[in-house]
Amino acid sequence: MMRSKKLTWALALPALALIFIFMILPITNMVEMSFRTPGSSEPFGDDYTFMHYTRILGDGYYWGVLWRSLSTAGIVTLLCLIVSYPIAWHLSRAKGFKAVFLYACIASPLMTGVLVRNFGWMIVAALNGPLNESLMALGIIERPLRLLFTQSLVILALVHVFVPFMVLPINNALRNIPQSLTEASASMGASRYQVFRDIILPLSFPGIQPGVILVYVLAVAAYVTPALLGGQMVSYMPTLIIGELTGTFQWPFGSALAIVLSVSTVLIVVLFTRLTWKLNERARA
Amino acid sequence: MTTVEVKNLRKSYNDFLALDGVSLTAESGQLVTLLGPSGCGKSTTLRCLAGFHEPNGGDILVDGESILNVPSNRRKFGVVFQNYALFPHMTVAENIGYGLRLQKCSKSEIETRVFDVMKLVRLTGLEDRLPREISGGQQQRVALARALVLKPRLLLLDEPLANLDARLRDEVRWLIRDLQQQSGITAFYVTHDQSEAMAMSDMVAVMKAGRVAQFATPREIYQKPTERYVADFTGEANFLTANSVKPIGEGRYAVHVAGADIEVDGVPGLPDSAAAELLLRPESLSLVTTGEAATFEGEVIKCAFLGASLHCEIALPEGGRLKLTAPPNHAVSVGDRVGVAIDLSHVWLMPEVAP
Repeated sequence: MMRSKKLTWALALPALALIFIFMILPITNMVEMSFRTPGSSEPFGDDYTFMHYTRILGDGYYWGVLWRSLSTAGIVTLLCLIVSYPIAWHLSRAKGFKAVFLYACIASPLMTGVLVRNFGWMIVAALNGPLNESLMALGIIERPLRLLFTQSLVILALVHVFVPFMVLPINNALRNIPQSLTEASASMGASRYQVFRDIILPLSFPGIQPGVILVYVLAVAAYVTPALLGGQMVSYMPTLIIGELTGTFQWPFGSALAIVLSVSTVLIVVLFTRLTWKLNERARA
Repeated sequence: MTTVEVKNLRKSYNDFLALDGVSLTAESGQLVTLLGPSGCGKSTTLRCLAGFHEPNGGDILVDGESILNVPSNRRKFGVVFQNYALFPHMTVAENIGYGLRLQKCSKSEIETRVFDVMKLVRLTGLEDRLPREISGGQQQRVALARALVLKPRLLLLDEPLANLDARLRDEVRWLIRDLQQQSGITAFYVTHDQSEAMAMSDMVAVMKAGRVAQFATPREIYQKPTERYVADFTGEANFLTANSVKPIGEGRYAVHVAGADIEVDGVPGLPDSAAAELLLRPESLSLVTTGEAATFEGEVIKCAFLGASLHCEIALPEGGRLKLTAPPNHAVSVGDRVGVAIDLSHVWLMPEVAP
């Protein structure tokens, strides 16, 4: 028995080493950095201080940016879920070539580089861009809308790229629901809506939960899209952090902002997991 | 109560003809079994009855009215699935009460009815367990209770015992039959197990490639099959080619079989010198000393002691082999020349394939 335990550790070693080198070390480094004093000629000083945290938590501006980041990510996640569920449903019913084709379509946003994709959005959403022109041609609007550098465009672009992360786990969960369950509930008198509400939706929760967490975390951390499509008028936490780290070279303050964002995100994910734990536990067949 | 009439039901998937004109009837309170190997159309027939499949032709009448346009959630049929199809996220009590909740029954009514039916299928005490926390036999009884609690017009059972071990299968089989008879519910039962079919059913439909080969009582399909396929599927059987078949009355024939001239019962309407086979079930044959009342004589080529009986196989000089069961203490061994007597009231003449 001892030997098999040793073997288990040996097999886990590469993964543990990887996690240590690329996660534990950098995070420890960043936490340490966030307590450093600001430097004058260097990015950081020699002493330790709480001043960065008191500054962030004592300033309504940072609270506002934090709230904007977390709430935008929340809206992105919700819209993503609403858009993705029907797609996941169709995907879970598809077979053979149709399924492969649908997978490819769903993954297509990920096949474009992040810069190219966002520059694409800039062209699409420009004042005289195709989006405005089509809306005018359809008679929905009379004058071009200012779409670029708005929060709505940031949300739209993030939903677009995160849909696959929501669709795939939900599709998986839906595929795992045996058809006989739907038939059984129908034979007991359930309408299509009741079958969905009582059987399909709760049993797809083991797919909804990871999808929501994945998309939320990705949306909170998104940098390029808010930076390019959000404009200079509003800040999001990632753009603020990168500004401190590479613009003004305030490494300790930038690190403290990053830690605040990480901790808030983790708290929200933990809260979400706790709230939905029961739902998930039951559906896990 | 409910009568069911299935009329010339047809169903095809792409190129595959699953049902090729299935006709059946169930009188009120009867248990009708659809028996056959996999792919014979028995499950498809049941799924058409349940409303999960739409047939391409034919009709299903329940109490004289066609139900083809009634969706499955309005048919009020109870369905028990082979894999039980219990809702994994609901407790046993929630599973059983689900249909009542849909009917907007009061909370107290749901509670009493769930409690009563759980007592009936001996599940009391398991109300708050999840399906994955109970045994296969218990899951099977939850599935049964869930169908029965709604007092369905018709009970449809799709191989409900296939996933149970032998001992449990026997127990649940009698439970199903008892409950069905007590409540007087008309039921359709799909199985590929002939002993299950024989033991439980009022009527058995033996199915073959999307058609009903024979629809009759268990006794008739065993003793008076319409063709070799049915005889083969319903139990151990010996077949001997019958020559110079001559009708001598309604369903009565004189035949020449393996060197013997005998008079036997058979499928009515066989013409003069029809190509036919004689069915001899092992239990209608007995070992005797040669010469004495022996109809056939032959050589023992296999002999196996099974405790309660002796199974022998005998080769006839004219060709053909006979399997038979003898009393356990009968002194016989391989290579012996023996005589075989037949109980003429238990042999049956039939065509190889029904016309």
